[in-house]
Amino acid sequence: MSSHTRSITRLGRTAVAVLAGALALSACQSVSPSASTGSTDSVDDGTTITMWTRSSTSTFSQTLVDAYNASHKNKVKLTVFPADSYQQKVGTAAGARQLPDVLASDVVYAPNYAAKGGVFLDITDRVNQLPFKAALAPSHMKAATHDGRIFAVPHDLDLSALFYNKVLFTRAGLDPNKPPTTLAEVAADAKKISALGGGVGGYFFGGACPGCQLFTSWPMIWASGGTVLNAQGTASTIDNPTAAKVYGLLRQMYDDGSVPVSAKNESGPTWGQAFADGRIGIEPMGATALQGLKEGPGLQVGVAPIPGLTGGTSSFVGGDVLGIGADSKHVAEAWNFISWTLSEQAQVQVVAKSKNVTVRSDLIDNTYAKQDPRLGVFNRLPGIGQTPISVNFGQTFNDPDGPWTEAVIDAVFGKGDVETILQQHNSSITQSLSTSG
Amino acid sequence: MISLSSPTRSPAPASPAPTARRAPISRGRRRLGILYVAPMTLLVAVLFVIPLGLMVWMSFNHWPLLGASAPNGVTDYQALRDPLFIRAVWFTLKYTAVTTVVLGLIAFGLALLMHQDRRRIGTYRTVLFLPSAVGLASTSLLFYGLFNADGSPLNNLVRAIGLGHVDWLGSTGNALGSTVLMITWRFAGFYMLILMTGLQSIDPALYEAARIDGANRWQTMWRVTLPLLRPTIALTMVLSVTGSLLAFDQFFILTGGRHYTATVVIDIYREAFLSQDLGRAAAVSVATLVVLVIVNVVQMRLIRREGR
Amino acid sequence: MVTRTRSAGFHVTGLALAVLFLLPLLWTLYSSLNGPEAANGKQGFGVANYRRLIGYGNGLPTYLLNTALVAVIAVTVTVVTTTLAGYAMARLPFRGRNLLFIVTLAILMVPYTTILVPLYILLGWIGLQNSLVGLALVLAVLQMPFGLFMMRNSFTALPVELEEAALIDGCTVGGALRRVLLRGVLPGIVTVALFSFLAAWNEFVAPLIFLTDGSRFTLPLALFDLQSGSLGSVDYGALQAGVVTSALPCVAVFLVLQRYYVRGFTSGALKG
Repeated sequence: MSSHTRSITRLGRTAVAVLAGALALSACQSVSPSASTGSTDSVDDGTTITMWTRSSTSTFSQTLVDAYNASHKNKVKLTVFPADSYQQKVGTAAGARQLPDVLASDVVYAPNYAAKGGVFLDITDRVNQLPFKAALAPSHMKAATHDGRIFAVPHDLDLSALFYNKVLFTRAGLDPNKPPTTLAEVAADAKKISALGGGVGGYFFGGACPGCQLFTSWPMIWASGGTVLNAQGTASTIDNPTAAKVYGLLRQMYDDGSVPVSAKNESGPTWGQAFADGRIGIEPMGATALQGLKEGPGLQVGVAPIPGLTGGTSSFVGGDVLGIGADSKHVAEAWNFISWTLSEQAQVQVVAKSKNVTVRSDLIDNTYAKQDPRLGVFNRLPGIGQTPISVNFGQTFNDPDGPWTEAVIDAVFGKGDVETILQQHNSSITQSLSTSG
Repeated sequence: MISLSSPTRSPAPASPAPTARRAPISRGRRRLGILYVAPMTLLVAVLFVIPLGLMVWMSFNHWPLLGASAPNGVTDYQALRDPLFIRAVWFTLKYTAVTTVVLGLIAFGLALLMHQDRRRIGTYRTVLFLPSAVGLASTSLLFYGLFNADGSPLNNLVRAIGLGHVDWLGSTGNALGSTVLMITWRFAGFYMLILMTGLQSIDPALYEAARIDGANRWQTMWRVTLPLLRPTIALTMVLSVTGSLLAFDQFFILTGGRHYTATVVIDIYREAFLSQDLGRAAAVSVATLVVLVIVNVVQMRLIRREGR
Repeated sequence: MVTRTRSAGFHVTGLALAVLFLLPLLWTLYSSLNGPEAANGKQGFGVANYRRLIGYGNGLPTYLLNTALVAVIAVTVTVVTTTLAGYAMARLPFRGRNLLFIVTLAILMVPYTTILVPLYILLGWIGLQNSLVGLALVLAVLQMPFGLFMMRNSFTALPVELEEAALIDGCTVGGALRRVLLRGVLPGIVTVALFSFLAAWNEFVAPLIFLTDGSRFTLPLALFDLQSGSLGSVDYGALQAGVVTSALPCVAVFLVLQRYYVRGFTSGALKG
């Protein structure tokens, strides 16, 4: 027994020594950030900081990260996670105190992360020092603020809009400069385009992708005067006749063959692929998609606001917010990167140049926006669009196993009256929204 | 090659090893025994016994993923009344029933076929068993490609024989069918092997006797093979039922729980890391555990009784 | 005549079944190497899928190394602890032996996916969250019931005289275990190692929950990310190459060591 006990004691002593060392280390490290709290000055000494984002908007983030790495000694290492499992990843990492230094989050999850704590660091003081604070996209700022404290800043504005292929419009005998202004026109144009045959579809959506569906179909409801959520984000109001007409129309387009059958199982990863290949006439997508589309003889991209049933326009003001991970050891460096992404240099020479919408309203009239009329269309959308705010948004709407997924799949691909289907699912959505987690 | 030709030794009973040796056991040896089991005991205690206790404790606490926990009685067990959970239970039961029946019948057929003395039989056995060496996650990804890629050999084949576009995973029924197909491919050889070990342990003299009594093949099957194989069949049932009730990888990868195909374990995962409520996840885990232990004990009892 | 027709019938059936069971694997192997994706846009064979796979995320070498590390630690820990414990169970009576045996076997009764959540918390307490070592230790514990059962039976089956002879020759108990007995139970050890390797290499749920850092992902996790289209589209070619890469070691190890696998079945200690 004695040798056994001795080895345990030795082990214990080693453990204590290691523990003490770790404590000393973390104590040292916690000094520097608090000392420099509120400062936005450059802390650019070759530190590597980590950043996470979800797959859907990763191209945008990568562009910014590359530009930052090229002009700074500090290096940002971006890790991209599947959009479907991003919430779980952030959740487990937060529980394990393993979050990255810089964390991007879908704007719809931001209220949850701001309210729960332990995900984002409170950066109120730093944000308040930004001279252009008032110009930052208000929808994103609202989502990232809880009890007057700010936890993140806008990263990208992903505004849903109709994308259409002018080449296919011309081929189908439609005017490429007259995009549809009502959903009825969308359906009619789509039908004409799909009649071209040869693997061409009129319209496309991610039928098994709950996030894609709400991102593109809710603006149709809003533009038609309907609602989807109550103001507090605690109850679903999707059981209205307007919403039923919108999903009825999507179902009709799928049933009459305007939409390729592959749309039914499109769970998100490839929902923009067919449009990018020039095989789709009209598809509502996010503004950040424009950057990745390669135009050519088969694809000329036009954009227009998403219309309602008989007119009107709206948009889902989505995208991501950017904050500092709650346990970051490189707070100053992380803020150096984040504040740089908001600078005029980054917003105009990187963001706008790569055909994206700036998150600062004071920079809307930049040179690149003037050159490309499509950016002009996008820039008007924040004014007419909405960002739904709800603490339980992710688990209710974005989870492929959540109540919204089955509701929208049933409504679009099911049989039976659409309004009845929406009414059946409405209560389970509300229940999921109202449970306190 | 898998031969299995040598007479199989019956499984050693799970009773403690014989302590027949009367020689005085020195204190040193006893101490040495404790020393030798210490590493395993430590790991089992830390990574099994403590988590088990912790799970029960967590289920009586409000235990968010982030932030402090506090006891909250049996509130967490309301997770068992959640409609999503109840739906997951029904789907899991349905999946378990279908898988166990389909897999059991096919594996039994394969075992009868492959339980013969023939040339090159070993090669066949090896091939049938090969899928079992591939991980379940890899299998799911493999079939995901076959099901979803438009130009996959499977979809080309289906088109070539005139079935057109098959929506492999697009509804509850299709996803269930496709998954059972995949699971059968992955596990049939595995269960075949277990059933073959059972067949091997049947005394050939009994078949001989049946033949002399003029029994035909069906009679031999019903009167000799099946009764004697019951313990083995029961064992495969235990494995298949337990495995199916805990299904996760296949549905997580193939459907992500879409089309009402979330299983109980996916629900636990959802409660824990999506709703960020570890307490409710623990409550569901405790309930699942209790049910499974009961199922296992009942089935083991059956095996033991039949075994005599 | 009759027997020959029946024999032919058997071989036809057997061959058909063999093709059916090999087909998905061969299809995947084939399409990972053939087609425009594999051959840089041309028809025919090529390794472009594997090239893209190697460059995916943190790089295939990282994922392979992580997976191998987890497997090696899990196998080593399982083999060492259960060999020692199996010997003690068979030959060195001590108090609490039966209790320990029952508790260890109870691991089989408790579906491990249900204790993953508390395990996740516990690993956090001992500083092993998001750690390959922590993951490997958990996977080792899951293999302990089978390992212990196997090793105890292996030692029990060895004649006691073997050990006595070694003791008379002047070996200590430890020396006897090392020199004489280990050789005798080597088949058992290989069986335990094989089962433990296959389980650790292929594990999906535990790393999904325990690992958060992309640079520590194991191969199945990286492939899952690949399938979920981390970079805007699903690269089926690279995915198929990944499935082949992850399955190949298991198939190879299994083909070489299959008689030990069968031993695992006949020993009566099983877990699906």
